[in-house]
Amino acid sequence: MRVLLSIGIGFGLVASAQTVDLLHPAADSWLTFHGDYSGRRHVDFAAITPENVGKLQQVWRFQAGQQQIKASPILANGVLYVTVPDNIWAVDAHTGKQLWHYQNPPNNAFHIGHRGAAIYKDTVYLTTPDCHLIALNAKDGMVKWDVVIADSNKGYWSTNAPLIVGNHVMVGVSGDFDNLPGQLKSVDADTGKTQWIFYSTPPLGTKRDPDSGGATGGQMWTTGTYDPALNLVFVGTGNPTPVLNGEVRPGNNPWTCSIVALNPDTGKLAWGFQASPHDTHDWDANEVPVLVDANFNGQPRKMLMQASRNGFFFVLDRTNGKSLLTTPFATVNWAKGVDSEGHPIPDPAKYPSKAGVLVAPNESGATNFRPPSFDPKTGLFIVSAQDGYGIYFFKSEHGAYGWAGADYGVAGKAFLRAIDYQTGKIVWNHPIGDGAGTAGVLTTGTGLTFSGDVGGNMMALRTSDGATLWHENIGRMGNGPISYVLDGKQYIVVGGGGSLYAYALGEAH
Amino acid sequence: MKHTIWMSAAALIAAGLVIAQAPPVPGNSQTQGQNKGQNKGTAKGAPRGPAQSPASRPGPQTVTPQAYPAAQIQAGELRFTSQCGFCHGRDAAGGETGPDLTRSKLVAEDTRGDKIAPVLKAGRPDQGMPSFTLSDADVNAIVAFIHDQKTKSEALGGGRRAVDASDLAVGDAQAGRRYFNGAGGCSACHSATGDLAGIATRYQGLALLQRMLYPTAGRPAPARPKVTVTLPSGQTAAGSLASEDEFAIVVLDSSGGRQTYEKTAVKFKIDDPMSAHFDQLGKYTDTDMHDVFAYLDTLK
Repeated sequence: MRVLLSIGIGFGLVASAQTVDLLHPAADSWLTFHGDYSGRRHVDFAAITPENVGKLQQVWRFQAGQQQIKASPILANGVLYVTVPDNIWAVDAHTGKQLWHYQNPPNNAFHIGHRGAAIYKDTVYLTTPDCHLIALNAKDGMVKWDVVIADSNKGYWSTNAPLIVGNHVMVGVSGDFDNLPGQLKSVDADTGKTQWIFYSTPPLGTKRDPDSGGATGGQMWTTGTYDPALNLVFVGTGNPTPVLNGEVRPGNNPWTCSIVALNPDTGKLAWGFQASPHDTHDWDANEVPVLVDANFNGQPRKMLMQASRNGFFFVLDRTNGKSLLTTPFATVNWAKGVDSEGHPIPDPAKYPSKAGVLVAPNESGATNFRPPSFDPKTGLFIVSAQDGYGIYFFKSEHGAYGWAGADYGVAGKAFLRAIDYQTGKIVWNHPIGDGAGTAGVLTTGTGLTFSGDVGGNMMALRTSDGATLWHENIGRMGNGPISYVLDGKQYIVVGGGGSLYAYALGEAH
Repeated sequence: MKHTIWMSAAALIAAGLVIAQAPPVPGNSQTQGQNKGQNKGTAKGAPRGPAQSPASRPGPQTVTPQAYPAAQIQAGELRFTSQCGFCHGRDAAGGETGPDLTRSKLVAEDTRGDKIAPVLKAGRPDQGMPSFTLSDADVNAIVAFIHDQKTKSEALGGGRRAVDASDLAVGDAQAGRRYFNGAGGCSACHSATGDLAGIATRYQGLALLQRMLYPTAGRPAPARPKVTVTLPSGQTAAGSLASEDEFAIVVLDSSGGRQTYEKTAVKFKIDDPMSAHFDQLGKYTDTDMHDVFAYLDTLK
């Protein structure tokens, strides 16, 4: 039985629900994982500036539980929704007080994190570790419907913050420990009925496909972006399986470690671009495909940018998936170069081997799920990067199922790194500690960059040069900050440890 | 075969870039997915030679055999899979970042949770393992499941993520010695007859390789960065660096006292010997790495 745990007071705040307009998000909302469809994680609010950011004060704190918040909260009609595995809370965005809490029953699927909820009209959507998609009444958390999106007994689990376009709720899953096809399912937002399934690798029960080389995997576990003019959804796909054993899956293994462009009405593939052809290092290309309209070499372009886990920064023409730029943004030693179509060329000498190879990046990657930000004014793409090394092993005894190999991180250094999108040059590089950072990035039109370091400091940097202007220790940030204007006040909200923190400028004295 | 790092962050930065703040931060390793657990049990006591299939080599044997009720093991499986399985594998034989627990020395030496429970409760933040808030019943169930998996794995043989000492034995110890004393620059800080004497008796196989690349714990203790602090009064304080972030340093003095200094309030100088290990990661070819490993493996 799926149960509603508690209903608090405060219905009055949400009684007059406005329309949730995903195409035109209002200043007092943050409607998707990214805030809008572009994935730029950028706001143009004017209140908080480099001059006054030092006056930021904590307005409220909401303790969500013991688990690390890895989710981006969403905000609609004055209510924030924040998740950890099996749990979602509705929180009054003015006060930080709980309105309701829904908990999924205990289950034995992986509970490694959750990326957030999605909203459409008056319904909030939650994916669960055991691969249910649950539609909840945004007002009170009552279950409207509950559907299974994949078979968790086969080894699928879900951490996904769904992407909603029209009445399509697009839901991804994970599943690296079993040889499972990558699937993105579109579900009718009103009824829960399946509309289409896009498979990044051939579905179970189909014949070995010569194109994919027998690879499974390519899971779409992060939230995509959407271009309404092209009517295309852009989603990153994960690594192939078996993970480290590439011998049994010859060729490039499309569409694993790729960016795919899909028609949201049909699930049909418009184009695909492989960030890591024939991956053998677990470098999902699930990082945010950021959509930017700007000049590239003097020509106006509709672009897609991704700083990928494999250490390469890609700029594509998103109308057709053609490469405009491919360049490393972190330490990389696994590629022999870049081919004429902008794909890195894997060096077979760095495939996992019996005696082991020293590879950069390590498995956790040059970046990962933590979202980056694009600042239009400076043209900087700002990402939490890692220069790291790992050792990778594969021998035939490791088999051809699931992980099929062994790898160990050796060491890493974490940075916030600002990339000039037209050249790939690193404009500034701000050390944030040992290992890898986990905080995402938010930029503002006033020239501020919000993110966090490895040690749990939330920081505001000057976007132009990366200088620190403000910081406060709130514990590990496993997510990206968000910002909105409510009742005329600009808020910055972020999860640190198991709590959600809201900041705004202190009262004028 | 020689393979060089053809693009490094250092090179990117050298190409006319600005480094904004602070030196690299050692010691403060609350990392996720980093410094993954050492598969210490893998090679311990493993006989050498090609006659035996490496995968058939057992991990360390359970010291105190122990049995658990089926219901407890089943309850433990539910808890283990959901909370631990992603990193350690559903079968406890290794997952996305964590080691194979069925070959773990700590598990082999555990009796009814006396070693495992404290690790669950405190975590291993330096190796990316979080702490867990669990009831005693849940902890006991997880312990039961891990021991049961170890028993099953011993019966089956093998190990999904096993790296055996013989797998690593491809290097040239003589070439490794030359690299150690020459191009690698290892002898600037280390000596085969000094700090590294007998290192191959204390560490074998993967554990020795990991220690060689980037030591994080154990004997000899990895050198902590040395730090000298000059206070506004002109008074100086010296010690080793316990932790550091962009804003503060924590210094351990010789008597074990901890002192936190705001970076803006003092002058300080950090000498971090571990930075040479990190830099070396960008210099080793795989051949160098295996050669130096082969050399260290002779220091018994």
